[in-house]
Parts: sequence; structure tokens; C-alpha cells
Amino acid sequence: MKRLNYVTYLAALLLVVSLAAWGYQIKAGLVVTNMSNPFNWGLYIATFAFFVGIAAGGLIISSSVYLFNVKQLKPFTRIASLSAFASIVGAAAIILPDMGRLDRLYNLLLHPNFSSPLVWDVVVVNLYMLITFLSVYFQLLPDWKNEGSFLAGWTKKLTKNQVDSLSAKWSKRMAIIGLPVAILIHTVTALIFAVQASRSWWNTPVLPPDFIAMAIASGTALVLVIALLVTGKANFLKYKSAFNTLAHIISGSLVVHFFLVAMDLLLHSWWGGHGAGVLSLVFGRYGYLYAVELILPAVTMFYFFTTAGKQSRSSLLTGSILLFIGVFVHRMMLMFPAFNDIPLSFTLPGAHVENWKYPITIGNYNPPEPTFTDFWAYAPSGIEILVNLLPFALTALIISVAVTHFNFLPGQEQKNHRLGVYTNTATTASIENRTKN
Amino acid sequence: MKLGMVIDLQRCIGCRTCAVACKQHNAQPPGNWWNRVFTKGSNFHQNAVGEDDNLSMEFLPVSCQMCDNAPCEKVCPVGATYSDENGVVLVDYERCIGCRYCMSACPYGVRQFNWEDPENSKREAEYQEGYEYGYPFDHRDKDGHLVYTPNRPKGVVEKCTFCVQYTSKGELPMCVRACPAKARAFGDWDDPKSDVNQAIKGRNVTRLLEEMGTSPKVLYLPPRKTRK
Ligand code: SF4
Ligand code: SF4
Repeated sequence: MKRLNYVTYLAALLLVVSLAAWGYQIKAGLVVTNMSNPFNWGLYIATFAFFVGIAAGGLIISSSVYLFNVKQLKPFTRIASLSAFASIVGAAAIILPDMGRLDRLYNLLLHPNFSSPLVWDVVVVNLYMLITFLSVYFQLLPDWKNEGSFLAGWTKKLTKNQVDSLSAKWSKRMAIIGLPVAILIHTVTALIFAVQASRSWWNTPVLPPDFIAMAIASGTALVLVIALLVTGKANFLKYKSAFNTLAHIISGSLVVHFFLVAMDLLLHSWWGGHGAGVLSLVFGRYGYLYAVELILPAVTMFYFFTTAGKQSRSSLLTGSILLFIGVFVHRMMLMFPAFNDIPLSFTLPGAHVENWKYPITIGNYNPPEPTFTDFWAYAPSGIEILVNLLPFALTALIISVAVTHFNFLPGQEQKNHRLGVYTNTATTASIENRTKN
Repeated sequence: MKLGMVIDLQRCIGCRTCAVACKQHNAQPPGNWWNRVFTKGSNFHQNAVGEDDNLSMEFLPVSCQMCDNAPCEKVCPVGATYSDENGVVLVDYERCIGCRYCMSACPYGVRQFNWEDPENSKREAEYQEGYEYGYPFDHRDKDGHLVYTPNRPKGVVEKCTFCVQYTSKGELPMCVRACPAKARAFGDWDDPKSDVNQAIKGRNVTRLLEEMGTSPKVLYLPPRKTRK
């Protein structure tokens, strides 16, 4: 557990670096990124979609404990809620540097346009942040009550037992309300893209269910990774069945993901012609990225179905990391084919011209780049990469501070107060103190 | 009133005068062009496409199509992009939060972003010191939205306004006035006697990306025969 302290320092450092880079970007303008008029969204939006995805795991795990009575996951409900909260904070954070006018964000409150999926997303992401926060809060409340912490100050008039039942009741409520909201944040985030008929790569009803499948896979993987780190080596066997369940959830949702990917590719390619235009980018110019996006999660999927894949911490960590990389590339691949498949294009049969793209102005004076282009070879700039540390640092910081200061691996029955004060050096020893599961 | 435009591709000579007049009058920063003209199918403007004795050269000017069902307006989270009472799609430079969702939504690639302060980009492009161009005053619609300003704020989206600073006074947009081939007409689709309704009389008309359902108010008259 101690090791997580280094994570805290590292995360704090990266946070400072990203804030500094962001400050520079605010001053200079988004010109310091490599985005352009024809390629108007890049690393930030892809990272946003990634973090929204991993935020799913949490409530899906805690809800399944309550709704489907998946008992073996019960020890991980606190970790799961925390991972959801930390990730959604990360997601919300990385949207901000993408705004050209951060100073006018209040217009979202003053003049919301409800036909915009972006407004729907603002609503559900904030709602999810609130629910996951409350979920964490209510689960930790009995501990704080015991410690006499100010965080439980308002429960002064209640007895411990009352606080326990209050905590149990509200944790359950949050898990149950949270589940549809968890599904919604992915649906709505996918809809931001999927409603756009201008981008054939996005404009498919497969996108929302696929976002959900990817989210369940990657969100569960995050819970798995945090749980592996928090329980420590010594306890691996004790929680093995829970880890196995998580690994199966990951593999299962990846099966769904690959099914949807196959349907999407089929529908894009079967008719040929215009719909297939975007595929020449996916398999041509961006073929190497697309291979990564397919192969890494596929490896994880098969690996987690085997006994070998689930037998040790390192196998589970390896599978999860491969998955994270695959999912991140998947998010980036939302952008590349979409923007470089310029919608205003023409085929002139008489002149043997196929799919000629009407050039778009780049948007700034940037020699030797031409003034107009029909292709933008986007790669994030150094500043973009530094700014983009923001959600990673923030999420890691929240998780590491939380798990080193509070008890995220409680005895199952909240009635048992033998844990007593949980300090930041909480070790496996105090976890061992728990009574039976 | 439903303002619109007709572009006669039979008349267009591909001279790009409209693009230049538009850029100058609307004070577009270096790198932004609200109005573009290309030779359809050709990688170089003013180069014919086709083979041997079957060459053709057709020019296609494209600026904001002033969609009646404008996706840019529907996606704008703060209503910075809106249609005014004349059906002109405008951007309020004081409300736009720079999310660039509208740029993803517009299928015509006409929306442009101010990636940096125009003052900077003019300096970088080595425009002569003190060279100011464009209509020099701010223009607000009747509700006070800032829809034209010669020096755009950093971080907002801009695009063709049908020269709102002129057309709101009953004048013609600059591209229509400047076109030496008289390839453009401007007017009210609701008025049968308007220039646009006169221009399409007896002609085939097309709109760009009709299948997207955006319902542009800019119409094109295809060339009657290909140039050789
Ligand atoms: S052409 Fe593009 S910017 Fe103009 S109204 Fe249509 S969608 Fe909006
Ligand atoms: S960039 Fe501005 S005009 Fe475009 S959608 Fe966002 S707020 Fe609206």
C-alpha cells in the first residue's frame, strides 16, 4: 500500500506539468496543438471518450452486487465506486482544455441548447460525478463515524447502527440509480459522434452499444487493476474468485465489442461505393493503428478466458494494460478516419475521378503547409501531450490519496468495527483483522 | 424572408475574385477563407480533368450553404450559432465557447476556427505593419448578438454571414457584387420576383449533398455543356 504514496507524488508532479502546459495553451491559443480546420478534434476529445469509458466499470460492478447478487464482487464495491468517480473527474477535466473559450463556459448554463448532444453529455456526466461521489461517501461514512471524522460531522445525532443502516441504504440506492446513468454517459457520449451524418465513420447505430461494451471492458479492467494493487500480493488467492469474475466480465464484453465491430465493418463495406471510402483510410493509411486496436483487446479477451490469463497478478495486469492501450487507440481511431474522409467529395465518371475531396482551409498561416488541404496528417503536438496528462494525473491522484487515507477494502459486514482507525499506512495486516467474509 | 443565393456554374470563370473580395471585406485572418473556389476533380485549380480529347474544367465555389436544416445550429451547445429572421445562419462571436462541434457537424467544410489571436497570425504572415482590412465596425443583430467584428476574438468559430453587415442594410453580399462574370444572384426565396427566383427560371438546379437533408439555401445552376 505504501507504494501508492509514490503514485501520489508522481501524479501531483504530472498534474503541475499539465497545468503549466495548459496555461501556456490558454495564452497562445489552440494554435499550439496540431489540430486544424479540417481536423478540428484530436487527442483531448479521444481522451475524454477514453475516460468516460473507464468510468463505467465502477457502478456496473457495485450495481451488479446489488441487482444481480454477484456476491464475490462485494469486497470491491468501494474500489469500484472510487474508480468510477476518479475517472469521471478525469473525463470532465480533459474537456476543458479543448474549449476555445473556457472563460465563457457559463453559457452552457445561461443558454443551453437542448438539441445538442453536448448539452445532454454535460448533464449526464455531472450527474454521474455526483452519484459516484455520493456512492463513495456513503460507503465510507461508517468508518468516518467511528473515527469521529468531520466528514461524518452531520451524523452527530445518529447512533453508529443508524449510520450503518443509512450507509447501506444509500450505497445501495446510489448503485441502483447509478447503473442507468453509467449506461447513459456512454450512450450520450457515443451520440455526440453518432448523430453526425457528416461523418460516415461515426454515423452508425452500432456506436452507442459499442461504446457501452468497450466501457464495461475497460472500466472493469481499471477496477481490477486498482483492486490488485490495493489488496497486495499476499491476498491474491483470497480474492482470486473476485478477480476471475472481473476477468470474465472483461472478456465477455469484449466478445460483444468484436461482434459489433464486425457488424459495423460489414455494413460499411458490403454495399461498397461511398460507405467504403472511409474504410480505405481505416485499412490503408491508418491500418497499423487499426491493427493495434483490434489485436491488443483480442489478446486480452482470449487470455482472460484461459486459466493462464487469470492465474497470477502479473497475467491479469498484463491483460488489463494491453486492453487499455487497445481501447485508447480505439478512441484515437474515432478521429483519424472521420476527419480525413471529407464529406464534400465528388466522383466524375467521365473524367475517371473517384471521390475527389473538396479542399478545406487549414485555419492558420503555417508554411510550408498549403493554404487548403484535403488531408490532415494529425499527430498531437508536444503541448497537447503534456496538457493531456491532466486526466491521468488527476485520476491517479484521487485514487491514490483516497486509498492511502481511507479503507477501501472493508470487512463485508459493516457492523464489524474492529478495523478501527484506518491510517495511511494501512497494511494487509489490518485487512487480515477482518472477520469472515 | 428567406435569403438565399444562386451560383451559375455556366458563368463562373474560376477567377476566385469572390473569395478575395470576401476575405478582404470580412477581415478574415490569414489561413481562413470563408469562400473557396476549386476546379472540380482536379488537384490544381484551373487544371482540366479527364483524358486526351475528353477534357473538362468545371469550377465550384463553396461557402456556407445557409442550410435550412442546419446541423451546425443543432449541435451548438450554447446557441451561439443560430438562424436569424431572414434564415441566415450566424455565429455570435461573444457567445461561442469554441467547442468546434459545429465544425464536425458541417458537411461542407466551411467553418473556420480562430486558432490564435488574429493580430498574431497577421504578424506571423508578415502582413505589412498597420495594414488593416475589412469592414471596420462591429455589427450586431437586432438582439445585440455580435455577428461581425473586424478583429475576431481568439478561440471562436467563424464562417460566411451572407455579409450581414451589408445585407442587413439592403446591399448585396460582396461575392455577388465583385463577381466579374455575374455568376451569382442573391435575394429572397419567398419573393417570386427576387433575383434568385429569376435566376433559376428555366434552368436545372442542384444543391450540394442533397442526400444529407441539410436543405441548403444556396442553389447551383449546373453548366449546360462542359468546357473543352
Ligand atoms: S453550410 Fe455548414 S456552416 Fe453553413 S449552415 Fe450548413 S452546416 Fe452550417
Ligand atoms: S464552436 Fe462555437 S459556434 Fe460552434 S458549436 Fe461550439 S459554441 Fe457553437
